[in-house]
Amino acid sequence: MTRPRSFHSSAVVFTVVYSVTYLIAVQNNYALFTYHPALEEFGPLVQPPRDGPAMYWYGWIATAAIVALVAAVLARFMPGGLAQRLWSGWSWAVPIASMVVFSYMLSGFFTR
Amino acid sequence: MTTVLLIVHGMLAVALLGAVTHQTISVLAPGRKTADSFVGRMRGVSAPSYVSVIIFLYVATAILGGIIYAEYRIAVRVVLEQLDLWKANGAFELKEHFVALGLGMLPAYWCFWRQPLGEGDARARAVITATFAFIVWWSFLVGHILNNIRGFGS
Repeated sequence: MTRPRSFHSSAVVFTVVYSVTYLIAVQNNYALFTYHPALEEFGPLVQPPRDGPAMYWYGWIATAAIVALVAAVLARFMPGGLAQRLWSGWSWAVPIASMVVFSYMLSGFFTR
Repeated sequence: MTTVLLIVHGMLAVALLGAVTHQTISVLAPGRKTADSFVGRMRGVSAPSYVSVIIFLYVATAILGGIIYAEYRIAVRVVLEQLDLWKANGAFELKEHFVALGLGMLPAYWCFWRQPLGEGDARARAVITATFAFIVWWSFLVGHILNNIRGFGS
């Protein structure tokens, strides 16, 4: 089944925006919610640790997914010419670049 | 309960590892469908037939990993820090971010395997698939090593 190019563009936009947003969310701690594993409780947005560590990973993923979803929906309304010109390579270049940035950010673990 | 989930998580990861490795080899070094050798048959598998199962296994493995991650955060990571096992700790930190980025790549991965491809799209499909293989191999090996260092219940 052949899918329209706009669907293809939305998928690329989702992946690109998700990768960038996730990176920014981790760097600046923009978690949509916080999980306190010791208490087995969720809390909205970023909260300090309570009776144990606070986990933001789930919240970062949620933040990135929502922002990417909105961007992907908006991408469906891109003019046809723009969608045609969208380079499909962004779908791998941006996530791989994000992985390299994370490797650099966490390099301290491997050099201490 | 966590131990059971960890075992199921590991079994799903093994299945995912096999599927994504087959698909990556067949897309990067395609071979004849009628090859006689083990490697030749591995290169000649029908790569598109793996897409749905890889997506299912990736999401299922990630969800299970996300559930047991909370226990890891309380019972394992603290011990790694106390033992100054920073490389193992850092490898797991990378794993969590790589897996999260992989989740965001799933729509593009699915899309590039499901439609007729242009020349640039074929390259995108191959690189995305190889990236998934890297993420899955990294995650599997790091999870395995950490389980050897400090398995749940030890």
